[in-house]
Amino acid sequence: MKPKIVSFTLNGRPVDVMVRPMTTLQNVLRRQLELTATKAGCRQGSCGSCTVLVNGEPMAACLLPIEDVEGQEVLTLEGITPLHGLHPIQEAFFENFAVQCGYCTPGMIMVTKALLEREPRPDEATIREALSGNLCRCTGYQAIVQAVTDAADRLHGNGGVS
Amino acid sequence: MSVQNYYLPESLGEALELLARYGPDLLVIAGGTVAMPLINEGVSTPVQVMGLRRTGLDEMARSNGNVKIGATTTLTRLLEESPVPLLRTAARNTAAWTIRNMGTVGGNLFSPPPAGDVAVALLALDAEVTLTGSGGERVVPLARFWTGFMTNVMQADELVTAITLPVPTGKTAYIKYGRKQAHTPAVVTVAAHLVVEGGRVQQARLALGAVGPHPLRCPQAEAVLTGSELSEDAITEAAQTAAGECDPFTDAIASEWYRRKMVPVYVARALRQIAQEEAAS
Ligand SMILES: Cc1cc2nc3c(=O)[nH]c(=O)nc-3n(C[C@H](O)[C@H](O)[C@H](O)COP(=O)(O)OP(=O)(O)OC[C@H]3O[C@@H](n4cnc5c(N)ncnc54)[C@H](O)[C@@H]3O)c2cc1C
Ligand code: FES
Ligand code: FES
Repeated sequence: MKPKIVSFTLNGRPVDVMVRPMTTLQNVLRRQLELTATKAGCRQGSCGSCTVLVNGEPMAACLLPIEDVEGQEVLTLEGITPLHGLHPIQEAFFENFAVQCGYCTPGMIMVTKALLEREPRPDEATIREALSGNLCRCTGYQAIVQAVTDAADRLHGNGGVS
Repeated sequence: MSVQNYYLPESLGEALELLARYGPDLLVIAGGTVAMPLINEGVSTPVQVMGLRRTGLDEMARSNGNVKIGATTTLTRLLEESPVPLLRTAARNTAAWTIRNMGTVGGNLFSPPPAGDVAVALLALDAEVTLTGSGGERVVPLARFWTGFMTNVMQADELVTAITLPVPTGKTAYIKYGRKQAHTPAVVTVAAHLVVEGGRVQQARLALGAVGPHPLRCPQAEAVLTGSELSEDAITEAAQTAAGECDPFTDAIASEWYRRKMVPVYVARALRQIAQEEAAS
């Protein structure tokens, strides 16, 4: 088994990682790069806690061999968190009590980011459908749905349409 | 032993060469949403693996009344771009956004039941599977693709390269019954395609998922429907007949008993949808 080098863009910066064949993106992020916002709930694709955006599309980092992201753009929660303060989606989750233990939160926020880029003003059904692959065992989802609606207001202003 | 090589061929030709070289020792993955969980869990311990993401087998095209879907077309693209509404509905009912961005149409044919929610729709639409190997291409009706639980007619040197179906001429219905509204394994999935002319069913295709070793057609229920006026009696009889044609199993989602009870309920609902649409048109 030969280690190899894989190059991709991570949170806007080029990175090269030396890996064993078929290491998952999740393990590269968490173990090698020590970027632990991307969680490891199930490693089965079922919980959504490892969701990252690849070229803007939500994907399960636990199911993605690192070689498949060669040359692609990967965005994790670390990539949207400003140096000081919080991203508007993070603020909305925080202020709507959509975070308890926080384990599901990074995945929820990454899906929210992708959703709001496609649909600036999603209705409740659309939000629930978009987040259906992300499990939260603490909050009961209502607060999360509210947080997404609030995040849409914060990002796109709450005058007019809503 | 861990994975020695993970190949990412950039063309079908390259992929077939690798298959010819390693044969059954090469694990093929497309979106990885079925294969990777097994690898992560240590249930599957492949040494040589080939990923199909870069082979370019993801074209979806419509021509001569047919729709051809490349094997590695993602479920998201099927949802957003399929010209066939039944396939969009099936895609919407399969997994969740993240998984649909990865999982492929071809991979759905290889998913252990209760998965196979797109395959059920393809079966009701009389799809054909293109298998390509070192000896060239052959086309197999999807109805004859599976031979048992997780077994099929594909040879070790072949890949599924495309799925082709005629643009449906009749009315279609699709119901996936699960324990939740979304992102849920099926208790039973029903897909139907009926051609009704002059108030009578001229052609009926009924397919069931999650109630057998692979998605199943129901030829006896189809025979009940064909020639009928799609009356409530015909619907009830077809639904009962379908319950006798499936072969349900027990898993964490539902028992064999419950699945068999639910088959006629959901077959009848799907057929009623078509009857109502027919009455309204
Ligand atoms: C959380 C979660 C939820 C899910 N929910 C559903 C659901 O609701 N309904 C449903 O139907 N499925 C569901 N699935 C299963 C799966 O996502 C889909 O069936 C998907 O279509 C599989 O495609 P894939 O490309 O990811 O398969 P892969 O994992 O890439 O492939 C599985 C196997 O199929 C074979 N294979 C795949 N493509 C080819 C090819 N072109 N030629 C030859 N062999 C091939 C290989 O042997 C491969 O190992 C779910 C999966 C997860 C993780
Ligand atoms: S850890 Fe990837 S989906 Fe659960
Ligand atoms: S906040 Fe604990 S899992 Fe969602």
